[in-house]
Amino acid sequence: MNSAAALALPAVGRPLPNRAPVLALLAAALLGALALALAIGAMPMSFADILGEETALQRLVFIEIRAPRVALAGLVGAVLAVSGAALQGLFRNPLADPGLIGVSSGAALGAVAVIVLGSGRLAGPLTAYALPLAAMLGAVLVTLFLWAFAARYGQFSIVTILLVGIAVNALAAVGLGAFQYLSDEGQLRTLTFWMLGSFGRANWPTVLPAALAMAAAAAPLFFATRALDLMQLGESEAFHLGVAVQRLKRRVILCAAAAVGAGVALSGIIGFVGLVVPHLVRLLLGASHRWVLPGAALLGAALTVLADLLARTVAAPAEVPVSLVTSALGAPFFLWLIARVRP
Amino acid sequence: MTLCAENVSLRFGPCPAVAAVSLEVAPGTATALVGPNGAGKSSLLRVLSGELAPSAGRVTLDGQPLSLLQVSELARRRSHMGQSAIMAFDFLVEEVLAMGWLGRAADFQAALRDAVACCGLGPLLGRRFNGLSGGERQLVQFARALLQIWRRRSPDAAPEARYLLLDEPTASLDLRHELLALRLARRVREDNVGVLMVLHDLNLAARFADRVALLANGALVSAGAPEKVLTGEALSGLYGTRVCVERHRRLDRLVVHT
Repeated sequence: MNSAAALALPAVGRPLPNRAPVLALLAAALLGALALALAIGAMPMSFADILGEETALQRLVFIEIRAPRVALAGLVGAVLAVSGAALQGLFRNPLADPGLIGVSSGAALGAVAVIVLGSGRLAGPLTAYALPLAAMLGAVLVTLFLWAFAARYGQFSIVTILLVGIAVNALAAVGLGAFQYLSDEGQLRTLTFWMLGSFGRANWPTVLPAALAMAAAAAPLFFATRALDLMQLGESEAFHLGVAVQRLKRRVILCAAAAVGAGVALSGIIGFVGLVVPHLVRLLLGASHRWVLPGAALLGAALTVLADLLARTVAAPAEVPVSLVTSALGAPFFLWLIARVRP
Repeated sequence: MTLCAENVSLRFGPCPAVAAVSLEVAPGTATALVGPNGAGKSSLLRVLSGELAPSAGRVTLDGQPLSLLQVSELARRRSHMGQSAIMAFDFLVEEVLAMGWLGRAADFQAALRDAVACCGLGPLLGRRFNGLSGGERQLVQFARALLQIWRRRSPDAAPEARYLLLDEPTASLDLRHELLALRLARRVREDNVGVLMVLHDLNLAARFADRVALLANGALVSAGAPEKVLTGEALSGLYGTRVCVERHRRLDRLVVHT
């Protein structure tokens, strides 16, 4: 290269838009959301109340009810957004989200089975774990089925997985419909509430193991960010650039399914977070997964914590299902996004 | 030290796409793969790149069977450029270029500057890849493929052998960039790179390739120097139309016309 060319190219050394401050801002937003959600609730209390020895009841409410609830909302939001971002990247499809590959309907099927078949029969200390475990089992089983079917009868190609996902979702809907038909009034109410999502049942004994499971399942996704970037060139070019494409697909789908399964097992279905948050993050941080995944974790957590705050305060002391809040906010935003992208 | 197909066949279901082809690409040479539509050119390229496993025969890279090489090791020693489509998400041009970089982070800036200067990509930096025209995108992908096999120049040792596989690299390029890309392909071969390119334009093949391999119905018809392979007689039969090949006296090169 000659020196004239070097002079003509001042742009090469120009760094990419500085994204670290944006990420720091998202982290600050999450901290703010957490503080707000911990401070506001049906029982008024200040941080001084909690730290002081004022009332044991306030402390109990804070530590045993509000704190695990906020923690669960943050974790589920982060996991949904990260899984959504990773699946959108893997499928090279801006419409992909954990629901698309049947994870959510699998979890719903498991949960609803326990609600309808187990009520009155389950007793003892295991009751609290029966529903989340069944939901997680449902999520994992549906994902394994989808994977096995796609690998056996298709090329394990993206299109096959998406098509099988549609069929699997339809089958799960049949199961859900059947359970709804069989359920009595009380079960139907529990079931509906679960399908619309709530962090209200959070307590430390269930949140802690779920948090571990979510973290363990989602962590490998953060090591796949460069491979996900290369996938954007197409599967063929990704292979030519050294990505073991089939292994990547397996890893991302299983990790996303397990992480989301562990999350929604406790909270029920939370709409639109996995679909919309990654798009929002791309507007702020660009398309590279190295930035999108951490950004999605922070923003997904912050927005879900705020959505839950809204859900439990807007009609206090009653509670609105959190999915109503996330969908009510997410769907119009998604429409705006579509209108904005089109030329 | 070659990329070598030995008696390679490839079937998609019952249809043979490549039939018992043997072909060798040596570092320092540029080979053009030509033939009518559906002759198996792209399939052969994808077998040689290791993307498709041959149903019979084998491919070796510098003596090692491709099937025994790690995907990442393969990526260090050969790069491939396919047809470029729009991406699902908005990446910047420099991010796409960085996708081709497999070397040490410390060398990236020098390599990027080199590639950008070679391909004349300066004005495209900072722009969205999806906002580029088809030709501009192709040029970016070409630079990306070059970056993948870029090596730091060292005076004492020749770099290891690498291979550059191009599938219709000039399909959407204008005349100037067509020449630019093919001249670059010729230039990198001096850096111990073997170049294999699928070309539709027989004039470009005759002008820029050291060797031409002519494919028809999945089989290798002939391979060798352009003036040996590209004859009016052979081409007329294969392409099903009258093709004339003559040496242009003033330009002193083969001209193929119909």
